[in-house]
Amino acid sequence: MTRTRFGALVAATMIVVAACGGSSATPGPSAASSAAPSSAASTAASTAPSTAPSTAASAAAGTPKDGGTLVAGLPGDMVLADPSLVSDSNSSEIETQVIQGLVGLKPGTNSQLIPVLATALPTVSADGLTYTFTLRQGVKFHDGTDFNADAVVYNYMRQLNAPKSLQNDYNYYFGAVFGFGADSNLASVTATDPSTVVFKLKTPQSNFLLATTLPQFGIQSPTALKAGDADNPDPSKSPYAQGQGGTGKSMVGTGPFMFKEWVPNDHVTLVKNPNYWDTANAAHLDAITFKPYADQTAELNALQAGDIDWAQTISPTDVKTVQSDASLQAIDRGQSCNEFHLSLNNADKPFDNLQIRQAIGYALNKQSYIDAFYAGMAKPADNFMPPATEYYKPLNLPTYDPAKAKSLIASSGVPASELNLTFYYPSDVSRPYMPDPKGLAEAIANDLQAVGFTITFKTEGWRTGYLSDSSVGKFPMDLLGWTCDWAGPDNFLVTDLFYFNGSKPNPQFNYGPADLKAAFDAGIAATSDAAAQQAWGTAQDILARDLPIIPILNSTPPAAAAAYVQGFVGSGNLEEQFNTTWLNK
Amino acid sequence: MAKYIVRRILSAIPVLFGLSIVLFSFIHLLPGDPAAALLGQHATPELTAKIRQQLGLDQPLYVQYLQYLTQLLHGDLGKSVINNRPVITDFATRFPGTVELTLAALLFAVGIGIPLGRFAARHTQGWQDGVVTVISLFGISIPIFVLGLTLQYVLSVQLHWLPTSGRLDPRTTIPSVTNFMLIDTLLAGRPDAFVDALRHLILPAIALGSIPLAIITRITRASVLDVNNEDYVRTARAKGLTERRVDDRHIMRNAWLPVVTVIGLQVGGLLAGAVITETVFSWNGVGRWVVEAIQDHDYFVVQSSILIFAFIFLAVNLIVDIGYAYLNPRIRYA
Repeated sequence: MTRTRFGALVAATMIVVAACGGSSATPGPSAASSAAPSSAASTAASTAPSTAPSTAASAAAGTPKDGGTLVAGLPGDMVLADPSLVSDSNSSEIETQVIQGLVGLKPGTNSQLIPVLATALPTVSADGLTYTFTLRQGVKFHDGTDFNADAVVYNYMRQLNAPKSLQNDYNYYFGAVFGFGADSNLASVTATDPSTVVFKLKTPQSNFLLATTLPQFGIQSPTALKAGDADNPDPSKSPYAQGQGGTGKSMVGTGPFMFKEWVPNDHVTLVKNPNYWDTANAAHLDAITFKPYADQTAELNALQAGDIDWAQTISPTDVKTVQSDASLQAIDRGQSCNEFHLSLNNADKPFDNLQIRQAIGYALNKQSYIDAFYAGMAKPADNFMPPATEYYKPLNLPTYDPAKAKSLIASSGVPASELNLTFYYPSDVSRPYMPDPKGLAEAIANDLQAVGFTITFKTEGWRTGYLSDSSVGKFPMDLLGWTCDWAGPDNFLVTDLFYFNGSKPNPQFNYGPADLKAAFDAGIAATSDAAAQQAWGTAQDILARDLPIIPILNSTPPAAAAAYVQGFVGSGNLEEQFNTTWLNK
Repeated sequence: MAKYIVRRILSAIPVLFGLSIVLFSFIHLLPGDPAAALLGQHATPELTAKIRQQLGLDQPLYVQYLQYLTQLLHGDLGKSVINNRPVITDFATRFPGTVELTLAALLFAVGIGIPLGRFAARHTQGWQDGVVTVISLFGISIPIFVLGLTLQYVLSVQLHWLPTSGRLDPRTTIPSVTNFMLIDTLLAGRPDAFVDALRHLILPAIALGSIPLAIITRITRASVLDVNNEDYVRTARAKGLTERRVDDRHIMRNAWLPVVTVIGLQVGGLLAGAVITETVFSWNGVGRWVVEAIQDHDYFVVQSSILIFAFIFLAVNLIVDIGYAYLNPRIRYA
């Protein structure tokens, strides 16, 4: 008898608990809509709060209120609590709130350098080999120890001499920028006095400053790193990397927020740093909790229900839903830091023919893709890198002109049999620069068929073959793109696209004339701004001349937030600071 | 009985061994590798080769399998190739979340399914039976993720009755002791957080419990109807017993057996369903962990965690079989 009653009891309890919750649930659309919704996106773009004390933060709407916890949704969990050991955007977005470098980016921009823990941008020797930084004084780490030149040296040396097992997959960025040990381009880092650090390079490296704005080059407390065994060759055994111990024990930097706790796969909580050195730019929020959401629809539901206040990325197809809800706002990040292109393997026919490649360029109606798939949050590409990249210049690449495409195909002399193109797209992924690969592939194919090509589609899983097969040149034509590591020409033109392995060009495109390599080498080794400008300008001109692949667009992946979230300054590289964000409720 | 249990445990060994081979082959035959997951867009052929070598993936497959098997026999389930954490550590912290969810779903399915099935059986000729049939058809035919997202949209986004996802309000901090949220909130002396955890549990439990609910309802109904036609039930009624007494003493006791079997079998389905439910509800359990591991080709995590799942499934089946003997003393295992 008790058994049967038990079932009814369970059902009744569930209903009662559900109903009780109704009254205490988070504010609904009606409550939130009265809380001064404003388009933070447009106003935020014009404000330029900075971590440097010289530029004070200004509010997006009204006077910022202090307090409250922001719950932020991310597409995935943090990987490790030590930024030097991660290369994913989720970890970076979290850790950049806590750990600062010598230089950083002006908020809202992708390539404007500002000093952060240095008092000014460094002085650079004429040969481009010596960078001298003067450090801020009186800055303390979150564990109370002093930030000084010795701390900077310690941080660089631990990465330079990283255990073999951590190189490449964990310490990816240090390896990519400087290299390790004796192979490194970093000759020495020395503290000449407590507030002066001198970096010596073996050969000039023009990406030095821009690359070191990444959180991977942030300065962490040497005391905490040592105590937390941060250099253990097995990061699972390092309490520091595993985020154990809380504030002052793990992820110990100098930023406006301090690490509090990490429950893997569930949340990371940061709290306000009450003793932040840059008082004018101290955090308004008491805390931020980052939560991973594997499913984008579920994340949007959570935002609409008020369970989270901010979502790092939403699908462009959801922008309309967000905009039509008065309690929410869609956030345009402004400057793009990515590129999306149609890859062509120049070793394959007919892509070895310049006129065919140009014809493809004229055939694509880039704006129509932006309207259909990006909710307008993208710009047609006129370069192989986005406009906010250092040394960018417009290249006047082919724009939509189907008649011109047809005439180029006719004059190319390529036989009709070679106009059958095999076109690969990834079957199972959505990337910030490519939200709907199948839809985009079909739209592009339509445009190509309209000018006389015939298309055969092929597809592979993103991680189950697409990326690896594409990288070794197995595909004649495919869709791919890149999210910047830093907005420098080297990152897009070389690392992303046309790197050389010795003298051999990237097998993906099999394109790499000698003059391009010379321009790259000159650009990377440039010792002055003018020289860099000239070399990278030449490289861009060569690429425009040869059009080895077809740049399509640069997008700004939209974020979304509750209307009461104010003062957030988005950034195309997704490494945005939350110190200016406040809750208007 | 003891002999029977020992024999059943021994027979599980070849099953698990065979499964380890199947799992190993399956995950290694999938195209792609963990290097792609580790490097993402930075995966150049050179760097990929370096990382494969660091992880020992350049060894022949049988060597890798033998290494894995040796580890297993030593009780070592391996480490994640993504973050190097031992599989057993992560499993231990995430498993309570899945158990909590699965038990809640089972409670929902059993607690509603059995009364509903009995109710339908009592009204076989009436419209009530039709309604129950439609409910169970819905339960069995709606995919979990569709039901989950719909529940979120209606009950959370529109009505604001329940939270959409997670195990606890992100603004609340409760020290993790057992990793069972319902227990940890009580240990922390936070009845408010306990209610919050309970509210977070409702939607995923309904989504996950929908299929077992449908099956249990149908089986209970069929089983009750079956027993209803037995001579001893007619005799009981003829003796003039009240309908409730006939129901409890004579019908349900005999109708339990197939229902218990089905409940046991549902555990496998629930573990599989947890994979989807946990993803939709951002539930920190082993299901979501396995999904991410498969995407990342995190070999040891996938192999070992599914082996543990299989072990649990076998154990539950054994318990169900023993439960049989308890419910029906005529059944004796030897």
